Amino acid sequence: MTVLALPLDSRRRPRSRYLAGLRTWRGLTGLALVGVVALAGLLAPLLTDTDPNAQSALALAGPGGQHPFGTDDLGRDLFSRVLHGIGTDLAIILTAVPLGALLGCSAALIAATSRWADLTVQRLFDLLLSFPGLILGLAVTAVLGPGRWPVVIVIALAEIPGFGRQLRAGLLVQREREYALAARVGGASRARVLLRHVVPNAVDPLIVQSAVALSIGVFIEGGLSFLGLGVRPPEPTLGSILSQSVAYLATNPTFAAAPLAATTALVLGFTLIAEALNRGIRR
Amino acid sequence: MRSFLLKRLPSGLLVLALASFTVFLLLRLIPGDPATTLAGPDASPATVAAIRAQLGLDQPLFGQYLSWLGHLLSGDLGPSYAIGGQVADLIGNGLAATAQLTAGALLLVVLIALPLAVLGATARRRPVAAAVQAVTTAVLAVPPFVTGIVLVLVFAVSLGLLPAGGHESLLDAPDLAVQYLLMPAVCLALPSAAVLARYLKDGIERALAEDYVRTATALGVSRRRIVWQHALPNALPSAVTVLGLQIGQLIAGAVLVERIFAWPGLGQLIEQGVLRRDYPVVQDLLLLVVAVYVAVQLLTDLVYAWLDPRIRWE
Repeated sequence: MTVLALPLDSRRRPRSRYLAGLRTWRGLTGLALVGVVALAGLLAPLLTDTDPNAQSALALAGPGGQHPFGTDDLGRDLFSRVLHGIGTDLAIILTAVPLGALLGCSAALIAATSRWADLTVQRLFDLLLSFPGLILGLAVTAVLGPGRWPVVIVIALAEIPGFGRQLRAGLLVQREREYALAARVGGASRARVLLRHVVPNAVDPLIVQSAVALSIGVFIEGGLSFLGLGVRPPEPTLGSILSQSVAYLATNPTFAAAPLAATTALVLGFTLIAEALNRGIRR
Repeated sequence: MRSFLLKRLPSGLLVLALASFTVFLLLRLIPGDPATTLAGPDASPATVAAIRAQLGLDQPLFGQYLSWLGHLLSGDLGPSYAIGGQVADLIGNGLAATAQLTAGALLLVVLIALPLAVLGATARRRPVAAAVQAVTTAVLAVPPFVTGIVLVLVFAVSLGLLPAGGHESLLDAPDLAVQYLLMPAVCLALPSAAVLARYLKDGIERALAEDYVRTATALGVSRRRIVWQHALPNALPSAVTVLGLQIGQLIAGAVLVERIFAWPGLGQLIEQGVLRRDYPVVQDLLLLVVAVYVAVQLLTDLVYAWLDPRIRWE
């Protein structure tokens, strides 16, 4: 009797599906957009030695010469401000999104332990969702005041229900599957079945959710900055430079150009990556 | 119908109760005493105590919460701390402007999403379907403050067609009011329209793959009739759920859009409230938003059940 070797290598399969998703035009465009912007932000200290907060008499200058993107209303170099602003944005979302993911996923795991825990966690998610988007930001900053950490907290809180609900839905589906029941029958404890067998099979949507969450993070940072509740000036963020530029749209439209392009590239890039991953997984 | 409501109402009310308590507690966590702030730096302790008693701040916490709820229910919201005037009047003034903005945006969401979804789902040529996909992805991705700036640059600065910001009452000068409303409403509507269009398109595509569509085609029913009378109605219920969730996003987005276009609505008021630490205004408005959100979710469930006869109201 011959034994059929199954071509499924369970360790490599998911990773190659993500890669296949990313190797489409969507994935590559997304990676390129995010890559260029992120690189510019990370290399900001090397690319420019102008202090982003140094003011000068040359206010609202157009692009050219010493100031590739021009200067803002206080005569600060926009090239330096935009690059450092990207850095601030990335630092904020790369702190906040993992934090939100961790909290959301922990809540989903707690919910998987009992019916009561599940009901409680679900109502907590409902509660967070009933403060849609920036409303949550207003509620939190009303208490904490504006600043960098309040922005991180707002983004993390806003991401909790997204991650939590995705994982909860995945766990509910996966733990009724035969392999989970088989593991249970085979004598594995409930915790072991959940953590070793069920969770690894429910992470796919979370990978997609992370990319979505990053774009939401950029959005929330910008929104809070527009309302004057973001990172305190003079530290530059993409949102704060953009909101500053609104007053000068009629007279100095070039002021808005660079932060506009960077924000759009970042958000669009994350969205494209999310979509590419999603298609790769569903294939 | 009644039993359906009885099943859904408790969880909605529970969320509302939790949210009201959260909002109430949140604003009590803030360091500093509103009475001291209100009385000013030179006030005597007696004045501060008098103000504290007047505001009910000397009552126990839960008593304060209950009296706040009682006043809310009776419509007496009390005076604002910093902005000036009665909270009820402030909210009343902003409500009309915000309602116009969100209603206009909601209308646009449906008007944009419906044709886009039908076009995307029924396009025979690939480029058309790909274009719809690209448009919804791009529009979905771009935050309203970016769209807002681009709209102002194009239509107000370059073309000079529309005012860059401001507000006119729909009752006094309808033609001017629409000009002022157009850009903010579009800006607010676009992301939600993109989301709705995607869900609706998927729904129509799924419906078009069903057996009854093949039967109808075999019987000679025209393509147009199949799409509009058979596939679309079947895709609507789940789209309504998405639309309900998007109304929450519209309310939240309005805060931002009002800021960009100098629209004198509730968004501006709540922003002022937070910046100037006017807690009665913030507290009442936050609860108002949550209440509207919960009510819309409940309404969405009802419309869903009404649109989809397979859902029983028992």
